[in-house]
Amino acid sequence: MRFTPTELTEEELELQQQVRDFLREELPPGSHEPCLGMAARKDKDFSLKMADRGWVGMALPKDWGGSDRTAVDRFIVVEEMLRWGAPVGHHWVADRQTGNVILKFGTQEQRERFLPAICRGELGFSIGMSEPDSGSDLASVSTKAEETTGGWIINGTKIWTSGAHENDWFVCLLRTSPMEDGNKHAGLSQFLIDLKSPGLEISPIPFLDGSHHFNEVTFNEVFVPETNVVGDLGMGWHQNTTEMAYERGGPDRWLSPFSTVEQLLREARGTDLEATVADLFGELTARWWGIRNLSLSVARLIDTGEAPSVESSLVKEMGTRFEQEVIEKLVHLIDLEYSPESESLFERLLAQCVVTFPGNTIRGGTIEILRSVASKGLKGLPA
Amino acid sequence: MSEISEVDPLITETADRLFSQICDHESVQNAEVTGEATEIWKAFAETGFPWISISEEFGGSGGTLLDALEVLRLVGYHAAPIPAAETGILGGWLLSSSGQQLPEGVVTVLPSGSENLLVARTGDRLTLTGRGLRVPWARTAEIIVVPVEVDDQTFVASVQPGDCQITPMTNMAGEPRDTVDFNEVEAFAAPVPSDVNLRSFRFRGALSRTALMAGAIEKMSQLTVSYTNDRVQFGRPVAKFQAVQQHLVWGAQDAALARMAAESAAREANRGSGAFEIAAAKLIANQAAARATKACHQAHGAMGMTQEYPLHHLSRRLWSWRKEYGGDAEWSEWLGRIAISQGADGLYPLITGGSGVLR
Repeated sequence: MRFTPTELTEEELELQQQVRDFLREELPPGSHEPCLGMAARKDKDFSLKMADRGWVGMALPKDWGGSDRTAVDRFIVVEEMLRWGAPVGHHWVADRQTGNVILKFGTQEQRERFLPAICRGELGFSIGMSEPDSGSDLASVSTKAEETTGGWIINGTKIWTSGAHENDWFVCLLRTSPMEDGNKHAGLSQFLIDLKSPGLEISPIPFLDGSHHFNEVTFNEVFVPETNVVGDLGMGWHQNTTEMAYERGGPDRWLSPFSTVEQLLREARGTDLEATVADLFGELTARWWGIRNLSLSVARLIDTGEAPSVESSLVKEMGTRFEQEVIEKLVHLIDLEYSPESESLFERLLAQCVVTFPGNTIRGGTIEILRSVASKGLKGLPA
Repeated sequence: MSEISEVDPLITETADRLFSQICDHESVQNAEVTGEATEIWKAFAETGFPWISISEEFGGSGGTLLDALEVLRLVGYHAAPIPAAETGILGGWLLSSSGQQLPEGVVTVLPSGSENLLVARTGDRLTLTGRGLRVPWARTAEIIVVPVEVDDQTFVASVQPGDCQITPMTNMAGEPRDTVDFNEVEAFAAPVPSDVNLRSFRFRGALSRTALMAGAIEKMSQLTVSYTNDRVQFGRPVAKFQAVQQHLVWGAQDAALARMAAESAAREANRGSGAFEIAAAKLIANQAAARATKACHQAHGAMGMTQEYPLHHLSRRLWSWRKEYGGDAEWSEWLGRIAISQGADGLYPLITGGSGVLR
């Protein structure tokens, strides 16, 4: 494990400036209710505008509608969007991971069909991993795909499916052959499923504050054409693990509370509070600077062709705990009663953070699972 | 992007090999008892490592500050009980900045400079009265360097240790941190360029500690991974237990975080700036040291609490270095004032741009 310090090149700094200019024009500070990181509003128009600039699916090859940009370029766009609290929800999953999966494992036909549309910012994807009896023990998934003429018949249930009620497609990990003794990772395959398919039912699982993100998706004899299998049959576990490496360690794992902190500074300007927050702002600034440097070095490593799964697990575990710590520090400091309906934007955001941030160390792999992934890669003293 | 300078890999390799050979558990322990590590210092000095980044014109070894800080990282990694920072990038830097030749042996520096001293100046002679606390290795130094602010100007005074009264004291790791009493001590002093002053000296001191601390935290983390993989309980290595894995992961994170912070600060400092990065790195190192010592000690159980096992060489140094050249409050307040002065819209650009946006 080695995180090497890296810096942005002139071209990368130029991109950063372009993104900042774009955001200042599209979402002038004070004009919009910032989102809290990647749990952002879906705003297809905004996604289309970003795509117009070439900032959706930007790391995908030009042949498929992308811009052949690097993981670091994508990092720059993503961090600016998230710190601004921009509504990136519509294209988020496709941009972060689905595009990569289809490029890497998909057929030529799948690439033609999906990648240009992803890069145009048109398609929204959901992820189908968890099931009622399969959470952290993901390899135990039991939703079945059985072969039939020209395709597959699917039966079973996926849960915690974010955005299934608004998205277009569903990337699902399904069991295509029975669980073998001693090799539970075998017999799993990935499928691309149209969320409008007959027999597919979507029902909300209300979030603790009553909002609608999660769904239960049930498959009742749903037919999926054979052309929608992603990669090789039985290779789903491997593909899924690769996919998760893209999911971990990026700015979405440490920037979620940023817009709240920024808003505190905006509202504290010139008040007594300003003098009392110096210590806190010093600490948060240092921590964000440090974690960002680690996270950026992971992106640089990906650009050299590495799959830094230990490094990205370490960053995600640390980043998501940091997000919760930030909010705890704000709650400690701000001696106010706040609510989602407070007049102050800062207080509204803080209330939202308090209520939703317990999920940050759970989504996309709990920190307990991340610790087990990361600790396998730790090295002791050199021999 | 300014040109990226890199550490000379030969420096890393040679310094690491040298310390691996001469700086073992026993010799570090022994230095704590006797108060000096003559053999280690001799071998270290023979390579010229203490004087990297100091111009040859003043008796230094040349090379970059980046290389000097890499050597300090390895001093921390091996818990080498020697005044490497004081002789080189602190004391040596002050002497050479003021056009003074370095002596052949150990140099130390008063960490608080002239802050608690009464100073009178007559031309290039200063008279110093007062007490300097926690002066590293003053008892073996050939020169005690004192950065002095007097008459709205900064001078570097070279004090002869024989002119002072030195009372041996130690830090939590048993390293010399002596009390030095100046009773109308006369010393030669030379002025320095305006970018060298008590403030920039404070930052440089903090920078030296971030490098030492990054090395020590990394070694501590590796030691903990090794120990927990060897130690068997309930029929398997304790590293296989999730509850222990948590400590291993947290230790490794803080090792990575502190090293990244130290190296990023070193790069900026090497270009002659880096106040923001140094402040952030010292604060990060301080907090990482606190968390990592806790996690690594916990994973070691009772063994880590003994003198015979080497964990304490690292943890006790970290607890001391955490408080040297600025504890948590000093740097978080300094950074916080900078951050707040940028305003809400400037906060993120500060985090991404660092010293670059403050210039």
